Amino acid sequence: MNIPFDQFLIQTINGIVTGMILAMVASGLTLIFGIMDVVNFAHGELFMLGAYVGVLTLAATGNFWIALIAATLAIAVLGAVIYLTTLRPLIGRDPLTTILATFGVSLVLQNYALWQFGPVARKIEEPITGHFSLFYLEYPYYRLAIAVLAVAIIGGLWLFLKHGTYGIWIRATTQDRVMAQAMGIPVPWVLTAVFAIGAGMAAASGVLFGPLVGVNSQMGTSWVLRAFIVVVVGGMGSISGSIAAAIFISLLEAYASLWVSPAQAVIVSFVVLILTLLFRPTGLFVPTPK
Amino acid sequence: MTNIGDTTSAGVARPEPTRRRLVGWGAAGASLAFGGAIFGSPLWRVAIAQAKPYKIGSVHSLTGPGAPVGKTALIGVQMAVDRINNAGGINGRKIELVVEDDETKPDVGRRKVEKLLVEDQIDAQVGGEISSICLACMPVYDDHQVVNMIGVCLDTTITTSKCNRYSFRPYDYAPAQAVAFAPYLVGKLGKKWHIIYADYAWGQSTRDAYAEQIKKNGGDVVGGTGIPIGTADMTPFLSKISGEFDGLFGIFFGADGVTLGNQAFDLGLTKKYKWAGDGAMCESTNLPGLGHKIDGFTGINRYVPVMDAPLDTPYHKAFFEEAVARLKKMDPSGPLPDRYVQSNYEAVNALKLGIEKSGFQGRDDTPKLIAALEGLEMKEGPDFPQGDKTLRKEDHQAFVREFIYEVKDGGYHIKDVVPKEKTIVPPACTFSA
Repeated sequence: MNIPFDQFLIQTINGIVTGMILAMVASGLTLIFGIMDVVNFAHGELFMLGAYVGVLTLAATGNFWIALIAATLAIAVLGAVIYLTTLRPLIGRDPLTTILATFGVSLVLQNYALWQFGPVARKIEEPITGHFSLFYLEYPYYRLAIAVLAVAIIGGLWLFLKHGTYGIWIRATTQDRVMAQAMGIPVPWVLTAVFAIGAGMAAASGVLFGPLVGVNSQMGTSWVLRAFIVVVVGGMGSISGSIAAAIFISLLEAYASLWVSPAQAVIVSFVVLILTLLFRPTGLFVPTPK
Repeated sequence: MTNIGDTTSAGVARPEPTRRRLVGWGAAGASLAFGGAIFGSPLWRVAIAQAKPYKIGSVHSLTGPGAPVGKTALIGVQMAVDRINNAGGINGRKIELVVEDDETKPDVGRRKVEKLLVEDQIDAQVGGEISSICLACMPVYDDHQVVNMIGVCLDTTITTSKCNRYSFRPYDYAPAQAVAFAPYLVGKLGKKWHIIYADYAWGQSTRDAYAEQIKKNGGDVVGGTGIPIGTADMTPFLSKISGEFDGLFGIFFGADGVTLGNQAFDLGLTKKYKWAGDGAMCESTNLPGLGHKIDGFTGINRYVPVMDAPLDTPYHKAFFEEAVARLKKMDPSGPLPDRYVQSNYEAVNALKLGIEKSGFQGRDDTPKLIAALEGLEMKEGPDFPQGDKTLRKEDHQAFVREFIYEVKDGGYHIKDVVPKEKTIVPPACTFSA
């Protein structure tokens, strides 16, 4: 079956843009898992609450960029509070306890949002409203801007982890928690900061994605499910693996939609997940374990 | 002859029948007979029943993805119940509402319905939003022989191939809306259509109804795109839509309606083609999330929150104002009432009318209640501010007037009103024996 070149190119752009949004959500999730061994089921709700803080700040200031920064900081603080009150007492116990705790937190946050903000979807106006002609479509600049911003934010995180003093602390804690503590690194605070950074990443993704969907209490659910797939396929704890997996899966889904129905196209990510778990459970985008 | 003072087989001394004892036994027997006659009579049953309220169950999606619809639907139920109770109840009996949350899951919904029917012993149920949950629960009402007055569920099969003697839909359904809307779509907007629909029971059955009616009216459906519910980024699927046709027709509800409205606009599809769809796409509770991007959308709905004719009545004004006040308490953004509030409010009132007409006292009278509801005529007034409606006997499906509107500057503008008589489709239901 012949696929016109225009459709192929459009789906390539769609796959990369969606992949970068997904990568941003997944990188926060994988950062928390990689360093703390905590599977954060409340990540989608932090994404959603970030969008709500964005709505409130935007209404108060009228500036999208201030809303983006305010939401990131506010949810990072909330993430730190959640970690200190709920997860820190559970560190070192059966991993199942942290899974159950974050699941509980997700239910609390979701129902809090429904109670506090009500069921009506809210709007975040995008800061860039123009579009350009892409074959038979008008393609919004804002979608490209999201992809660029996601690259910038993830790139900033990578630089911070690679070269920043605190980034080195985080990497040292990941490699050997006991040795890091022996060297004077305040491990408990490093873990709190990591959870806060992961929460902030989720919030930033929520604000950036908000203009495309409308903000509601359920908006994090579908993203976080896909982010979990990305984290497993990319290799648990690997940020670069998550980015590659997010783009890979999004491109596969976008290309699949050229041949099959959307209902079948969205199955592709699950097929990739199953194949990964069967044949390369460490992840597709991490070096082969020796 | 047995000796006086013999023991019975159980070894208990039998009392001696003196005259005094005989009189006592006689009096006790007479009292029992009299009491039995009185307490066993229907009159006494009515008197006992009147001492307690009608127990009405109400199952809604109050958490999970269906919560935005379920929460507003429950407000409609509560408005009607409060109004009835403040007026003294039905036949002198107040309503006790027992609310359950189905968590937007069919299995949970079924369990909650079982609980209402077995533990709470409800007399009837009003509610239900998500079609898959309604369809899962309908056989349970059938098993327990209790009337189920559906509040929102729109899947066509509820009153066609999966119809049920105990379930009633006192509002419209997709085939009737399609009959009402198709002449306008084809006559005024365009002949060739592409349908984008929520790829599950309701979306598929609604797509089929519109495709049939568009073709009947001389138009054509040249393509369709089904998107799974809950898809956050629809852009890859919408990007495929191209070609020579006149209009795009959207069939989504809730958050998915907001997503489609935003992303179809962003890709320029709603400027390139005429943009129309089911009213669920842009319910009043969706408008804030859609902003200006939904301007120009033409939809059909049984209810629109405007005070234009024919909705400029004092009963609609009273309904509207109370609904706005209650919605404001639930959501600080102050949404306007939608069809979920309206149809649940009217579903409770339809049940009230049926109870009054049948003299229903409890579950034993369910056959009488069903007989009263079949063919029930509901007249526009405080109980039914949306307008007149008829609950058809053959399939328990109501027919109501429909409003065709256009969204402009974030508000609804009525373009046409289709009377209920012009929305009729033949019944396609056979009740099981």
